[in-house]
Amino acid sequence: MRSRSSSEIRRCRPLLGTFVEIAASGTNPADLERGIAAAFASVEKVHRLMSYHDPRSDLSRLNREAFPKSVIVHPWTWRVLEAAQQFARESDGIFDITMARLLASRGYLPRCEYRPHNAATWRDIFLRKNCRIFFRRPMIVDLGGIAKGFAVDRAVEALKDNGVVAGIVNAGGDLRTFGHASQVIHVRHPAEPTRIAGAVRLRDRAMATSGIYFERRKHRRNYVGPLLDGRSGRFGQELISVSVAAAECIVADALTKIVFSLREKAAGLLAHYHADALLLERDGTPSWMFRSSCDTRARTPFD
Amino acid sequence: MKSEFVFIALPASALIASSAFAVQYLNVEQAQKAIFPSKSFTAAPVKLTSVQRKAIEQACGVRVLNGEQRVWRVSGGGWFIVDEVVGKHEFITYAVGLNTDGSVKQIEIMDYRETYGDQIRDQKWHAQFVGKTSKSTLKLDSDIKNISGATLSCRHITDGVKRLLAFYEIALKQ
Repeated sequence: MRSRSSSEIRRCRPLLGTFVEIAASGTNPADLERGIAAAFASVEKVHRLMSYHDPRSDLSRLNREAFPKSVIVHPWTWRVLEAAQQFARESDGIFDITMARLLASRGYLPRCEYRPHNAATWRDIFLRKNCRIFFRRPMIVDLGGIAKGFAVDRAVEALKDNGVVAGIVNAGGDLRTFGHASQVIHVRHPAEPTRIAGAVRLRDRAMATSGIYFERRKHRRNYVGPLLDGRSGRFGQELISVSVAAAECIVADALTKIVFSLREKAAGLLAHYHADALLLERDGTPSWMFRSSCDTRARTPFD
Repeated sequence: MKSEFVFIALPASALIASSAFAVQYLNVEQAQKAIFPSKSFTAAPVKLTSVQRKAIEQACGVRVLNGEQRVWRVSGGGWFIVDEVVGKHEFITYAVGLNTDGSVKQIEIMDYRETYGDQIRDQKWHAQFVGKTSKSTLKLDSDIKNISGATLSCRHITDGVKRLLAFYEIALKQ
């Protein structure tokens, strides 16, 4: 709701390998400034813990040391790994964070000095008590999008904790709105990323979109993108995009990858998370839409 | 009850021309305040010599496109620098605050510009949104504010900051 003295502050910083934009609105500018500072601090914390590129991050420590002996990680890292494992289980391995080795082999991620096992999957990750993680085989994991989604959720939490009543956090296309008013979210064209295919309205909800447009590379005469199906190890080739709306951004992000592979067959999982999905074909037209039943008690990985 | 999730596609005819998606987050003064609250600033622009440019390029492996750097000295120590980077889809102005020891204090994007289709200014298209959600009180803006979609990498900014740190070592450090 926009009262007479309501104002909005919108800031943007380069984090998580992309641009993180945070907007906060309310009546007290000091609250907004404090909220935005706290929200960016949360995103920076996720960046520090879960960066694939920073050798000091929890994630790099896991990749280096969780095989052959276990590693203790920050509770936030643990929560993201727990969610990743849940999505892997529910998608029967389509969502699989250990597929980072294939991304590294194609140049989407830098190579590591150690050799991951060729048959390692999410089933080789073990979450033990007290934030202890163990890998049964040498492997590399990347939390990429799901960490981004988690960061968006933590940033929204920080804004709310600081008395901000409405706002939006957008980490390179993974976003979440909160507050009374709905927001117009534009969706990129799946084949031409510099164009907009259309828009949706979102209120108190997160949304993520996956496609291969910006990171397409030529491989054996075909263009492939960094979206892959963990069951087959096959890279995404189709110039489609998948948008998913859910209560939490971490859920929205993970589900886009599953819907990208399963398409209509993901309906059950979407319903389970009270999520909405939109599939855009390469000409920018929607070929499938899934609308969840409206239940505010949407299930989250952290129930 | 079903959710309110509704997608409104753009007509194909509107996909031809292109214009810019631009956000101004902060002007120079606001960026100074955001990074160094309650400090004062003295302009100290630097014009690089060709020797300095080469030394910076060698130190960081990033090309120096602009020989003039907008720099401010911060009261009580530290530096405030405004810089620009150009990518395939984007043109970005950003500010970097350096601590007295030359470490990065904070980075803020000041201006962000991307190219997009012209249809965004099409009023008829926008009219479709009005009344879609009963409880909506937000006026529909004619600009794109929020985009869900592929991640635009911030690699150019990362390279830019690398270049500024080399610039600090070569041209600012006393």
